[in-house]
Amino acid sequence: MPYAAREDILGKLKKADRREEAPARPPLPPLTEVGWGTEQLIEKFTENLALQTGVVHRVADRAGALEKLTEIAQAEGWKAVMIATDEVLAPLDLAAWGRTNGIDVLKAADFTARDAFKDAVFDQVDAGITGVDWAVAETGTVALVHDERQPRLVSLAPILNVVVVPVDRILPVYEQALERILAARGGMPAHLNLITGPSMTADIQATPFKGMHGPRRVIALLIG
Amino acid sequence: MKIRTEQFVEIAREEMKNTRSKAFLGLLPPVINAMRQISLATFPDPDAAQAYGAAIRGEVVTRLPELLEEFERNATARGTKVVWARTAAEANAFVLDLAKKKGVAYVTKGKSMLSEEIGLNDALIDNGVDAIETDLGEFIIQLLKRPPFHLIGPAVNIAVEEIRDLFMEKGILAEPTEDPVALGYAARLYLRDKFHRLEMGVTGVNMAVAETGTIVNVENEGNIRFAKSSPRTQVSIMSLEKVVPTMADALHMIRLLCRNGTGQKMASYISFDTGPRAAGEIDGPEEVYCVIVDNGRADLYDDPVARDVFRCIRCGACANICPVYTKIGGYPYGWAYTGPMGQLLTPLLLGFSGTSDLFRACTLCGVCKSVCPAGVDHPRMLLYYRARDAAGDPRLRSRGRPLKERTLYDLFAWGATHPRLWRQGAKRMRPRVNRGARDGYLSRSVEPLDGWFRSRDLPEMAEKTFHERWKEREGHKAKA
Ligand code: SF4
Repeated sequence: MPYAAREDILGKLKKADRREEAPARPPLPPLTEVGWGTEQLIEKFTENLALQTGVVHRVADRAGALEKLTEIAQAEGWKAVMIATDEVLAPLDLAAWGRTNGIDVLKAADFTARDAFKDAVFDQVDAGITGVDWAVAETGTVALVHDERQPRLVSLAPILNVVVVPVDRILPVYEQALERILAARGGMPAHLNLITGPSMTADIQATPFKGMHGPRRVIALLIG
Repeated sequence: MKIRTEQFVEIAREEMKNTRSKAFLGLLPPVINAMRQISLATFPDPDAAQAYGAAIRGEVVTRLPELLEEFERNATARGTKVVWARTAAEANAFVLDLAKKKGVAYVTKGKSMLSEEIGLNDALIDNGVDAIETDLGEFIIQLLKRPPFHLIGPAVNIAVEEIRDLFMEKGILAEPTEDPVALGYAARLYLRDKFHRLEMGVTGVNMAVAETGTIVNVENEGNIRFAKSSPRTQVSIMSLEKVVPTMADALHMIRLLCRNGTGQKMASYISFDTGPRAAGEIDGPEEVYCVIVDNGRADLYDDPVARDVFRCIRCGACANICPVYTKIGGYPYGWAYTGPMGQLLTPLLLGFSGTSDLFRACTLCGVCKSVCPAGVDHPRMLLYYRARDAAGDPRLRSRGRPLKERTLYDLFAWGATHPRLWRQGAKRMRPRVNRGARDGYLSRSVEPLDGWFRSRDLPEMAEKTFHERWKEREGHKAKA
């Protein structure tokens, strides 16, 4: 592309008469959610995710989470799952859990190349399991920062997405999640997602349904 | 896409007889409007939230070149390859060339109105690179070769029977069904394989954040996320007004976009891309391109009224509530952009000659302006277009009104500014004009006035002019 294009476009824009300045910004409108306490955050997160057909289970601790996971695995008849290796999931030792329960627990590090990983995550697993970086009560949203511990396709390609959320990671609004992510990483990560419930559409006759391209169902395990 | 804006009246007339479109338009917009209201009510002060959105967009319009430079600087620093395109042809050539260089057989497309504006799909397909729309609605209308019916739901009016037959014919569906959900799943299975083998994704951009160089996409289906996850190359195309100053502004606009567009508090997926994948990632693009497309916008930027159209964030709220759109649907608008925002944008991009029905098909009721989260003043802009068009403005590619019409109005203006002549004229014209009246109304006239009477009547001329009555009244008072 000719460099001239850039100069042309910016040149025209800068030449324009802009004496009519935009008026100063009004004060930032308030957000109710900011005042919520811990129990209310949990309650609202659950309520908002449930509105999007997300299923929320609250368990007391990691042992409880593994128990619940076993229950889900049996009910769904899982044979293989793809997991992230973020700091929420790591202490659960899902590899050991898989061995006990006869489930293949796969992770990105098991694959040397993108294509083999894609084959597995698209076609060979029954669910994708991830932790979260943060969760947001405002809309029942989870924030995932993608990097080597958190492959992009784990929460997207499998038909079922299980997400593990320690309750102390639930924040009132998106801004607070972003603030923490920026502080921890010194800037925006390469890829960040705010995920609210399963994939959906209403493009045929305005009939809404879940599971258009991504997961049909999202199950959240709240720990704590 | 074939441009059919010149047939606005014709297609509108047809569509008003289309019972399916009518049934849909009678049902859905009220539902979406109600959902919009409910979701906006989750703001402690919805009006303040909308006004803040308008302030952000107003600032974007005034600071456009500086914000674009800031975005470019920060995006480039993080490894995004920023490309500028003056015209549709330049943008299309770039994407095609890249696809050829990468040797890909096809690209998937995320929903992008800009790509319809510049005709990217045809440019790729005609040159041997398949372009597959993956948003369900776009996927359907691409197969049907039909224009979008609605900004957010491009195929939402299309009958299930028609989709069934289409999917059977294309081998997307194995067993015939009319269940919308089963049809959707068939499309899912068909497209899933395309995502799996994908080597290059092309998506639009909802926001480009200047402060961080981040590209933001808002979606429900997950097709855009696939385009940003599966392939090695990702191309984001944006019209130059998509930039916002800060990440905080982006979050506020996301809240507004979801609520005003679909009545959701939050869409399923908001993805933020700042450069290509991080070190160690097994998926995600190795290269990210951001194509900033002008396509005539920079030329309009010097016009302080016209440039307000760059505030628009394409939420579609104005269409859902427009008394014209909700009668005629999206087809009469004749191009990529439907509803009131199409009435504003299309004439600017395509020129006024051939699109003038768009800015005239409006009663100036102002309900569009009242719902807009970006501060677009539709009635003001439409009046401005009409005035510029009457005068004939070559910059807006307006030829001006026909000679006959202009002469008539010049005559009228001359008469109206000469009171004595006016009064005499009125006296002399009255019997001739009123000869055509029926039941006290004039409903027909001769050329060149007949167009005016197509949808209006005039009461017949009164026995006495206002001035005559006033004088009489004053006379009575003086006597009393
Ligand atoms: S002009 Fe219409 S589509 Fe654009 S932001 Fe305003 S309401 Fe939304």
